[in-house]
Amino acid sequence: MYQVESSRTLLQPRPAATRRRSLRVPRTVVLLGVTSLFTDVSSEMVTTVLPLYVFFALGASPLQVSLVDGLYQGATAILRVAGGFVADRWRRHKEVAAVGYGISAVCKLGLFALGGALGAVASIIVVDRAGKGLRTGPRDAMISFSSSREGLATAFGVHRALDTAGAMLGPLIAFGMLLLAPRDFHSVFLVSFCFALLGLSVLVLLVEPARRARHRAAGSQSWQAAKRAMAAGPFRRLVIAGMVLSLATISDGLFYLGLQRRLDFDLSVFPLLFVGTAVVYMTLAVPAGQLADRIGRGKVLVGAYLLLIPVYAALLVTSLPVLGLAACLLLLGAWYAATDGVLAALASAELPEDARATGLSVLGAVTGLARLVSALLFGALWTVAGIQVAAIVFAGLLVVAALTAALLIRHDSDIAPEAAA
Amino acid sequence: MTPTSLQKPRPSRTRAFALVAGLCLVAVAAIVVVAALGEHRSSTNAAVGVVGKPATPPRPGVKPGSVLVRAVDKRDPRLNGPATMVPLAGGRPRRAPLSCERIALAADGGICLQLQHSGVDWKAVLFDSRFRVRHKIGLTGVPSRARVSPDGRYGAYTTFVTGDSYAHPGTFSTRTKIVDMHRGTVIADLEQFKAYRGGDRLDAPDVNYWGVTFSGDPGRFYATLATHGKTYLVAGNLRTRRLDTLRENVECPSLSPDGRRIAFKKRVGGPGHWRLHVLDLKTLRDHPLSERRSIDDQVEWLDNRNVLYGDGHDVYEARADGGGSPRRLLARADSPTVQPAR
Repeated sequence: MYQVESSRTLLQPRPAATRRRSLRVPRTVVLLGVTSLFTDVSSEMVTTVLPLYVFFALGASPLQVSLVDGLYQGATAILRVAGGFVADRWRRHKEVAAVGYGISAVCKLGLFALGGALGAVASIIVVDRAGKGLRTGPRDAMISFSSSREGLATAFGVHRALDTAGAMLGPLIAFGMLLLAPRDFHSVFLVSFCFALLGLSVLVLLVEPARRARHRAAGSQSWQAAKRAMAAGPFRRLVIAGMVLSLATISDGLFYLGLQRRLDFDLSVFPLLFVGTAVVYMTLAVPAGQLADRIGRGKVLVGAYLLLIPVYAALLVTSLPVLGLAACLLLLGAWYAATDGVLAALASAELPEDARATGLSVLGAVTGLARLVSALLFGALWTVAGIQVAAIVFAGLLVVAALTAALLIRHDSDIAPEAAA
Repeated sequence: MTPTSLQKPRPSRTRAFALVAGLCLVAVAAIVVVAALGEHRSSTNAAVGVVGKPATPPRPGVKPGSVLVRAVDKRDPRLNGPATMVPLAGGRPRRAPLSCERIALAADGGICLQLQHSGVDWKAVLFDSRFRVRHKIGLTGVPSRARVSPDGRYGAYTTFVTGDSYAHPGTFSTRTKIVDMHRGTVIADLEQFKAYRGGDRLDAPDVNYWGVTFSGDPGRFYATLATHGKTYLVAGNLRTRRLDTLRENVECPSLSPDGRRIAFKKRVGGPGHWRLHVLDLKTLRDHPLSERRSIDDQVEWLDNRNVLYGDGHDVYEARADGGGSPRRLLARADSPTVQPAR
């Protein structure tokens, strides 16, 4: 019993005095961040080794592997919205999120147990992504419920920082294990399952859902409530702004590829670009959230997109010093930090509580699909007209999108929180 | 509207979490220890016996020269197997002191694509005619094809690279590089070459290359270019760094010793289904070989009339004119590369 007692003291929330005043983050947000951290360790471990596993152990051709990829893109968008709606309708955000996290955990076990055939692996991956789609909206809604209105962006920043930390640790653990035991993929899947279980148990056992005014939405009205909330001007404008901005964004994968083609640096550097961006993202997520809460979330969101213009310009040059490359990663990381969580905070502030998970899911689905379209568009432009033209067109689109978004968001009084504070 | 940040979970739940967390950590530690010990055991085993028996040829025909293959381990067909020289005139196969996933040899040297101990990184090992290592080059991705030019000056290899999980989960692309076999330096990445289709520049983000085959004319080669779901045979030139498409639906070309024909895999039906064909470079007409199964390999010419290829388990011989029927030449072998008799 001694062990349990002592770990219990460890698990007490840290006294607020030890944190900086401005960083007083609700316990639930930190716990949800820890859930995401463990879950991301788990899922990134698998994503790191899966291509190798499929190639080695199953003898599948790469072509077959990439077929799996396109499958889940559309499916998750629908599931996402459904997950958000169910959570709102029955006020069961924690339960829906737990089902989502649980599905992904079971999938890791599934890979271990029956990952012997390509078909099984493919279906497990699809189910795993479905779990991710299901949980995102309700989880973000929970973050917003447990935060104060003035600290929304900071809260999302904390969550995203923890989330990104997990995404960086996962591949490290996976590669570390493969160094110790080459090609022992099944052990990697088992350890991944353990991390998924840890994340799930943080959510199920430690997170106390905010007791919210239950009287506000009796079930049957919630469909109407959701429809009303989606149709409301400010939220609709925000979704359009998010969509337009996402359409003008070059996916970072394509950006790195373009940079590599133009500057001809060694391909082994490639993964480092992602790591560099993620480190910056992780570091800046909280400060960016704080800044957004202080000077206005809309300003930070739209401003962050302008950071991308010098990044796009890097695709036009034929030589870029190492420092220039580092600057690109810094800007990209800062852009991530100042957009992902801030957009969720903006939407949370616009949405009534009884339709928040639905709204966040709709926003996530719309921006996700817009990113897919933009990737296809950029690829097509690159093919037809070359990468320089594509970069210039996207820079132009970006300016237009930023202006549009600024106009769309500016209308809404809610956006400048200092007015309310 | 007070946030519920100060709500604490019930003590019983905290205790349950501590239990789960403790169990998870113990489980992780146990799995890692067991995995590491298991690796220790299997590596000591490997040192004694290694992959099965050497490939014993069922009386190969009376052809001069020899063929270098890698012995295939039944349990792990894709992993490093010992390079083995099989005299084509009959006689005992001799194992070379190298283990590879893919091997190619010409003139005075060869290239061996090798999985390193970590299990996740590969190297191209350049060796001389006595299997002494000349150079090692780090590879990005999983090895797929290897070739050496007839004069032994250039080597080429193709690897599969995984798109990073962050942006493109599960997608693959290929990298094809050409190296100087004597200096051990990478002299070309085909993606940096300028590709043309009927005079139009091809510059798409999804362009991939694989399966180089060298011409007897130094610095010239053929390869596969893939873009938008289509594949093309391209003719390349190391000096001008230019590639021109010649024909559609050609993968993993292999030039005949006389330089007049190309054996290749042609996609028939859905993805991942190929049939071996031979193409006449003058007429650009092709005909299928007698092998009816789908083969995913870069064919090797035994001489101007016959080709060799592996199905992942055994090496087969077939007539280049499409006649006859395929004959199993070497059991439990892969990646054949022919050393013609002088």
